[in-house]
Amino acid sequence: MKSIRDYVNEMFNEIPDSEQKDIMKQEIIQNLEEKVCDLMEQGKAEEDAINKAIIDFGSIEDIKKELIGKQPGVKNNAGLHLGYSIWGSALIIALSVFMNFYYTPRVIWFVYPTFAVLWWPLSMYFRWLKLK
Amino acid sequence: MLNSDIIRGHLDSIILRLIFEKDRYGYEISKEISLRTNDQFQIKEATLYAVFQRLEKKELIESYFGDITHGAKRRYYRITSLGKAYYRQQVEDWRMTKEIIDVFMEGLE
Repeated sequence: MKSIRDYVNEMFNEIPDSEQKDIMKQEIIQNLEEKVCDLMEQGKAEEDAINKAIIDFGSIEDIKKELIGKQPGVKNNAGLHLGYSIWGSALIIALSVFMNFYYTPRVIWFVYPTFAVLWWPLSMYFRWLKLK
Repeated sequence: MLNSDIIRGHLDSIILRLIFEKDRYGYEISKEISLRTNDQFQIKEATLYAVFQRLEKKELIESYFGDITHGAKRRYYRITSLGKAYYRQQVEDWRMTKEIIDVFMEGLE
């Protein structure tokens, strides 16, 4: 019954590898093979039985949705990115303030880079709001 | 062969019910569904395993490997106490839904 195995392997090709996937693949192969045996006992030729089992199987889309939804990596990192942007921009602003008052205390210019840098945490903040 | 959206919305309950009765494995469940409905409803295997995956994720069922049959270990499913509670709730909900829908589906020629 190589053909059932081939068929299932092929179908699962597009799903990323995981332990879950392997377990489910084995389970499906085994159950389909049992179904083929049953169909053959009812008088079907092996080829017909395999074909029927494969047609009855349906579309892999449902399984794909369940398995892929479980993968890590889609987890929400927006909070981390926001925190990083706040700390990063605060350090850059602190540096420009220091440079401003240490080297050119008569000209206040640190406001300009401050405004430029603030876009970073601002955009991260809205991304975080959206994904929350 | 009937495969309507209405049934699809209750697949979880159908499968929970069968596992509630006793621990079962995949093919057994699909056979049982066809048998009990006189082949009026057959579940696609792809759908069945997607439901298993979902129910297991929600901790309504759990799986274990049984004895060796047909050269490999069968994967059996068992209902959890959460699953039993969920199923009972679903039964209750269905009873009420049925009453409501019947009001509009019955009695008109």
